[in-house]
Amino acid sequence: MERKAQARAAHAAMSTALGAVMLLGGALGAQAQDKTEITFSYLWGGAEGAALEQIITDFNASQDKIVVKGVSSPDMTKQLASMSSAKGAFDVSDNFASNIASWANQGILLPLDEFGLDTSDFPESIMKQLVVDGTLYSVPIATHNFQLVYNKKLLDEAGVTPPTSMAELADAIKKLTKVDAEGNVTQLGLGLTDISAGLKTLGYAHGGDWNRDGKPTPTDPGFVEGVKFYFDNVVAPVTPAAYNKFVAGFGPYMSDQDSFKQGKIAMVFEGEWRAKFNTEAGMDWGVVQVPGKTPELNGSTWADVSTIFIPTNTGNKEAAAEFVKYLISPPAMEKFSHVLANLPGRLSLVDSATYDDIPNFKVWLDALKNPNTHGLPPALYMAEYNADLASAFDSVLQGAQTPEAALQAVADRTGSYSQ
Amino acid sequence: MQSARPRPSEPTGRALLKGLAFASPFIIGFLVLYLWPILASGYYSLTDFSLFKAPKWVGLANYERMISDAKFWKSLYNTLFFTFVGVPVDIAISIAGAHILNQKLKGQPLWRALVYLPSIVPAVAAGFLWRWLLNAQYGFVNEILRWFRIPQPNWLLDASWGGISVIVLMLWTVGGTMLIYLAALKNVPQELYEAAELDGAGPLRRFWHITWPMISPVTLFQVIVLIIAFLQVFTQPFVLSKDPGLGTQTATGPGDSMLSYSIYLFQNGFTFLKMGYASAMAWVLLFVTLAITLLILWSAKKWVFYDNR
Repeated sequence: MERKAQARAAHAAMSTALGAVMLLGGALGAQAQDKTEITFSYLWGGAEGAALEQIITDFNASQDKIVVKGVSSPDMTKQLASMSSAKGAFDVSDNFASNIASWANQGILLPLDEFGLDTSDFPESIMKQLVVDGTLYSVPIATHNFQLVYNKKLLDEAGVTPPTSMAELADAIKKLTKVDAEGNVTQLGLGLTDISAGLKTLGYAHGGDWNRDGKPTPTDPGFVEGVKFYFDNVVAPVTPAAYNKFVAGFGPYMSDQDSFKQGKIAMVFEGEWRAKFNTEAGMDWGVVQVPGKTPELNGSTWADVSTIFIPTNTGNKEAAAEFVKYLISPPAMEKFSHVLANLPGRLSLVDSATYDDIPNFKVWLDALKNPNTHGLPPALYMAEYNADLASAFDSVLQGAQTPEAALQAVADRTGSYSQ
Repeated sequence: MQSARPRPSEPTGRALLKGLAFASPFIIGFLVLYLWPILASGYYSLTDFSLFKAPKWVGLANYERMISDAKFWKSLYNTLFFTFVGVPVDIAISIAGAHILNQKLKGQPLWRALVYLPSIVPAVAAGFLWRWLLNAQYGFVNEILRWFRIPQPNWLLDASWGGISVIVLMLWTVGGTMLIYLAALKNVPQELYEAAELDGAGPLRRFWHITWPMISPVTLFQVIVLIIAFLQVFTQPFVLSKDPGLGTQTATGPGDSMLSYSIYLFQNGFTFLKMGYASAMAWVLLFVTLAITLLILWSAKKWVFYDNR
């Protein structure tokens, strides 16, 4: 009898608990249904993705009308395919500034002017990349520029001080490049972990521009001179064959086999994200602004932008805009850029003490205010142009063509670009 | 006298409908997934189309543009180089390997399984593996060449070796072709060899006068299948060339030596958003493949032997 009573009591307790859970679930479900759910598909993964998820969690906690679901999807082809259908798979996503003009022209980006986003303190070099024909199509969540990063230990051993002019840079390259008795390169004075970024930076440092007034200018004299500087000072002295054999031994970027980390290259043009990696890798390193051909050109660099946009095929444009507003708000932008050691997109954050714990970060932060930091005007042809420039740079580094001939070949192709 | 006519078990129309119903998964799949895209790409090849905007009729402009597009010709040249060097070498290695696998050796089933093993490794994984094997500084291939005091090329960063590297990676899966040849060799009647031996024919003459003609139908099939595979090559050059650590970010290799036709087609369609031009390129590839295949079929009358003729 007692057992039966116990069983009845247990049954009643379980029924009550189940009922409570169902009621709670129903209530929560009803609450979730009241909220507009939007999807934020981002290209980042790993630590960057985790930082974004934290920001999404913060946003969701602050909201009673919108709930954001984050999805890490690094496939850009899939991103494009989703935007080609009537109803897309996401409401907010990210990309780089170089694609904005082309995508805006295709009509797949929602104009953002009507949502009253605060763009008052975005640097001019950034804004000019995101406004197409007077319309804002995208906003920055983080920005990037390139400075001259060096391995302190290698420079000290060679008795070289960080270069502050192009002549000093050439001299430092000479002293820091080592070749063994058999002609094999064992250390490069100046290396390229990103060929295009490095050579474009050198072009700016020589007063050139590879994309002037919204037109591709691959044969711009300063730009050609920048590419020539690298070939004449780095590749030619060791021969293209020896250079490329040495480069073939470079391990994956920002891994334990990374060429800069391994001390295979003494100096390199690098973005601000490198600060975190170098420090975590325990390197003794420093950074100076890019030396210019003349003192007025010191600090010449170019700014790239990680952008946030809303696709035209979103079904929730108001909610998406609300989330974008939050993402680019100073606290969220500061948090995201700090975790990633990326630069903020707002001038008001440049002097924030938040970034003080990232060693040497100030050189990159200061460049946001430097008039020698160039932004690329939006252009439809950027993807094709970048692919052709990459081929031309490769041809120069192979020693197959002179910088003049390789860049002239690019100029010959620009006629077929989308305009 | 009345002729006896077999009586159909059910009306012909009903049987036809039943047949069509059973075949409908294929028919629908073929119409929707094959025929419609083929016809659509034919139309798009005559338009300026980016996937996102309505196609704009441009007639033959996309085809005309190819004439002056240096990268189009470079990609076509590279692809034909991969094909006309890679396919004969593939066939030669396969026939030689099949002869070895046809010997009465101990553990032969194991050797046969081993040669086929690379064929089941995903192409991307194999590409990453071979990037290390072909590395000019640390690669195993150059290490072997060093032992034999043979010059070691910079496989992945020298324009003259980029195309060869792609072919080497394509030949990595030669085991599949080898096993098909092994089956063909086993079908050659042994009495032909015995008769030839009695007549004093050596191994080379036996191969040339017996084996080669007897396996020629298989060779015809293999040549056509391999040519189609080589003309469409994408994954191998894409993986070999796209590695920032190697200092090349073009996905086209040193001096564009790994720019295959399919990679350039993909770039035009999905990177440059020139889907009309990419569609035109796809049709040109179809006609190039068709022309080469027809040429081989025409030539087959002279070198393929069918013993049932």
